[in-house]
Amino acid sequence: MTESVPLLELQHLGVTYRTDRGQVSAVDDVSLQVPMGASIGLVGESGSGKSTIAMAILRLLPPNARVDGAVLVNGIDLTKQPDRRLDREWRWRQLAIVFQKSLSALSPVHRIGVQMHDVLRTHEPDLTESQRKDRIEGVLAAVHLPARVLRSYPFELSGGMMQRTMIALGLVCNPPFVIFDEATTALDVITQSQILGEIQRLKEEFDLTTMVISHDVGVINATTDIVAVLYAGQLMEVAPKRQFFTAPRHPYSQALIASVPRLRGTKERITGIPGSLPDLAHPPGGCRFAPRCPHATPACMEHTPPLIQIAPGHMVRCTEFSMKADQDVTA
Amino acid sequence: MAESLLTNEAAVLPTAPRRESRIRAFWRPFVASRMGPIGLGILICVALCALLAGVIAPDGPFKLGAPRLIGPGEQGHLLGTDHLGRDMLAQLVYGARVSLTIGLVAASISLFVGVVIGSVAGYFGGWVDLVLSRLTDMFLIIPAFFLIIVVVATLGSGIGYVMVVIGLTAWPTSARLMRAQTLSLRERTFIQALRALGESGPRILFRHIVPNGIQPLIANASLDIASAILIEAGLSFIGLGDPNKATWGRMIFDGRTTILTAWWASVLPGIAIIVTVLGFYLVGDGISYVLSPRSRKVSK
Amino acid sequence: MGRYISRQLASIIPTILLSIVLNFMLLHAAPGDPARVMAGKDNPSEEQIEAIRKSLGLDQPLPVQFWKYVKELAQGNLGQSITYKQPVFDLIMQRLPATLLLTVTSAVLALSIGTLLGVIAAQKSGRPVDSALSFSNYALFAIPSFWLGLIMIVIFSSKLGWLPTSGMRTVRADYTGWRDKLDVLQHLVLPVATLALVQIPIYFRITRASVQLQQREDYVTTFRATGIPEPRVFRRYALRNALLPTVTVFGLGLGFVFTGAALVEIVFAWPGIGRLTLDAVFRRDYPLLLGVYLVLAIAVSVAVLLTDIVYALLDPRIRLR
Repeated sequence: MTESVPLLELQHLGVTYRTDRGQVSAVDDVSLQVPMGASIGLVGESGSGKSTIAMAILRLLPPNARVDGAVLVNGIDLTKQPDRRLDREWRWRQLAIVFQKSLSALSPVHRIGVQMHDVLRTHEPDLTESQRKDRIEGVLAAVHLPARVLRSYPFELSGGMMQRTMIALGLVCNPPFVIFDEATTALDVITQSQILGEIQRLKEEFDLTTMVISHDVGVINATTDIVAVLYAGQLMEVAPKRQFFTAPRHPYSQALIASVPRLRGTKERITGIPGSLPDLAHPPGGCRFAPRCPHATPACMEHTPPLIQIAPGHMVRCTEFSMKADQDVTA
Repeated sequence: MAESLLTNEAAVLPTAPRRESRIRAFWRPFVASRMGPIGLGILICVALCALLAGVIAPDGPFKLGAPRLIGPGEQGHLLGTDHLGRDMLAQLVYGARVSLTIGLVAASISLFVGVVIGSVAGYFGGWVDLVLSRLTDMFLIIPAFFLIIVVVATLGSGIGYVMVVIGLTAWPTSARLMRAQTLSLRERTFIQALRALGESGPRILFRHIVPNGIQPLIANASLDIASAILIEAGLSFIGLGDPNKATWGRMIFDGRTTILTAWWASVLPGIAIIVTVLGFYLVGDGISYVLSPRSRKVSK
Repeated sequence: MGRYISRQLASIIPTILLSIVLNFMLLHAAPGDPARVMAGKDNPSEEQIEAIRKSLGLDQPLPVQFWKYVKELAQGNLGQSITYKQPVFDLIMQRLPATLLLTVTSAVLALSIGTLLGVIAAQKSGRPVDSALSFSNYALFAIPSFWLGLIMIVIFSSKLGWLPTSGMRTVRADYTGWRDKLDVLQHLVLPVATLALVQIPIYFRITRASVQLQQREDYVTTFRATGIPEPRVFRRYALRNALLPTVTVFGLGLGFVFTGAALVEIVFAWPGIGRLTLDAVFRRDYPLLLGVYLVLAIAVSVAVLLTDIVYALLDPRIRLR
């Protein structure tokens, strides 16, 4: 039985920045498959490389970034496409992204309507003015925004309203795949919860495949089916949501989940994860998480464990599991 | 481009790093700016000329010779003479002393006044800020050169007056910069902490806020020096400069009537001004380059 | 918008008034006695000097003099020039058009060229074109305006003979109509070129910095993500955002060039208020000096006000808050 081609596939994706401090390895050996209709969550601390991956997919990295590996959308490798083709065929039509800083996401001196019309006209020039108007007002209605937003300037809207506007903009060309990059991080918790609910609804209404990027495990829980944990540019664990939250395998995943205080139940001490991200200009030799890992062994510091499958759809990068796998093989 | 979305790049100000690393942290990007070291090289040459004026031209700039203009390279005058027979090279190197002095003193006054006014306005806010900001705007709008002319013409054209007046008209830019810096530093956690600990306002202001916020003003000071030199040249050109000093501006003034036959009398001091002023601009550019890490990351 | 304009007006008037007071006090605190100067050089008697002093009202206490001055100001009377023995207002109005012609033309020219070059340099940031332009810009900024004027005269007037040396019109030629306009234009070229060249660096610098800043803004990334090509993003959105600071600087720049023009006017014997000012200063002609100063202060304030208005028209964040 042939498997359908995943909508998005990352193959050994790596991003290295050339800086005056040397080469900085921001993303290393990230491989993921996102089937059509699924929702994958990318979780990790600030600086773990999550947003870099999103930028790499859309090829929006600064000129001093080098991308290795492949980004396949419907089987076609985007890294090999000329920029102009990306503009015309993939950006916004196949892949859209909603950023974190929505207040500054549009030009402050132009009206919102002007900017939205411009984007739509770029990709569907054959639409008449009134057809465009209908489509734009349609997406605005989908995010529960009134049409008068179009006459406003970005500074006149609240954070929540701007975020909804950016989501509407993302949907205006009906893309099958939408990335939400920390889309609710800048908002207060109430608005955040509203927007998250909207995202779920829109996912069904527009039949979207999504990638949700967040440092907040709670957000990931609310919006995704598959969870991928990123640390210092490397994937540490990938698992279906249920497995991830009921039985996380990687120490980092466990720590992430444990750091969220529980609403009900016994009061416990709030735990954090001591230490900080390694200097990516000089990454540590072995497992990148080892310096902060409570279960680290000397072997962890020496060899970087590979990402191995421990159950269907469940991958872990941890010496404990790769050693056991070796033992199973040799046994 | 994408970097601004990825990292939280809050400006990091060193509160008291070790000496050596501070110098190195400044020097490396300064060299990388390319303009900075060129400017510094120029200024070192000019400074050397000024310091060694007595060695280069032991007779001083006012030694009269035959009242005719001698061309460069003739009769032992490397750069010729002016209409009173005074050696051009001598006047140029002594003029360097005057120009550098004027520039440095005027810019220091401007910096001092600007820092005080700007930081006080920014820190105390309220009506203090209102009054001081009005004052700053007023001085900014006043046609400065005109005011300088009026003051120098009425009070006297001695070099002291000139320096002080230029300094007292140039401070608004520094004041604005300092005020902006103070406003943003005031909200920083370490300042809040100091206030909570009971440190007095003026102490916080002058011991913590000013030293941390002054960096962009240093770059601006370089421009102030350059502008002071140009203003003084303009004043000398219209006859309002110090008659007892050999300034480059006055040299241009002296040489203007004979410019067609004896170009060197006016052209050479002009070149001296251009080169020196350029040196200060480039150094200022180098300093601002060091202070703005964002602009450094994008290119290359 | 109307509210914005009236707010700006309201803040400019006190500034002008304060400048007048400052200048008035300064002049009257200075050494030098205008009555004595006016009495002439033939050993005037003390009574003659006193008579002149009385007629000028200089024997009154300062506040009275100031009040008299303000009253007359309100009637449009700027007093009588001591040197030229004509109403100050007339003197200024005779010369003002020439100065305006010179300053406004050069400012607009400098703005256009400087902005264009600044945009080019910013788009080719870090590359040789940018380095060359930036360096030349600093060099240009370092040139004293009067020196440049002299050089221009030497090269283009004397050596090449293309353009006239000085003045605004050919003396004794008495052209009329378009012939006259052409004559003025010919005389205008060198002074305008000189004054424009020394202003270009200001606009180059601010535009280049501003464009570079806009290139790093979030909305640029947004539009690139939507597939709009970079040149279009720049033309349609970034440029307008980038030009806003240039507008502000133009207002201040116009103000400064009024005074900076004085040196160029002297070098080219251009019949503007620059010359007038200098005479006034040297001869302690207080009424004339105060008159010129007032006109300049108003001119600068008007320029700033106009730019503020244009800026508000371009930037909705100012208009609508």
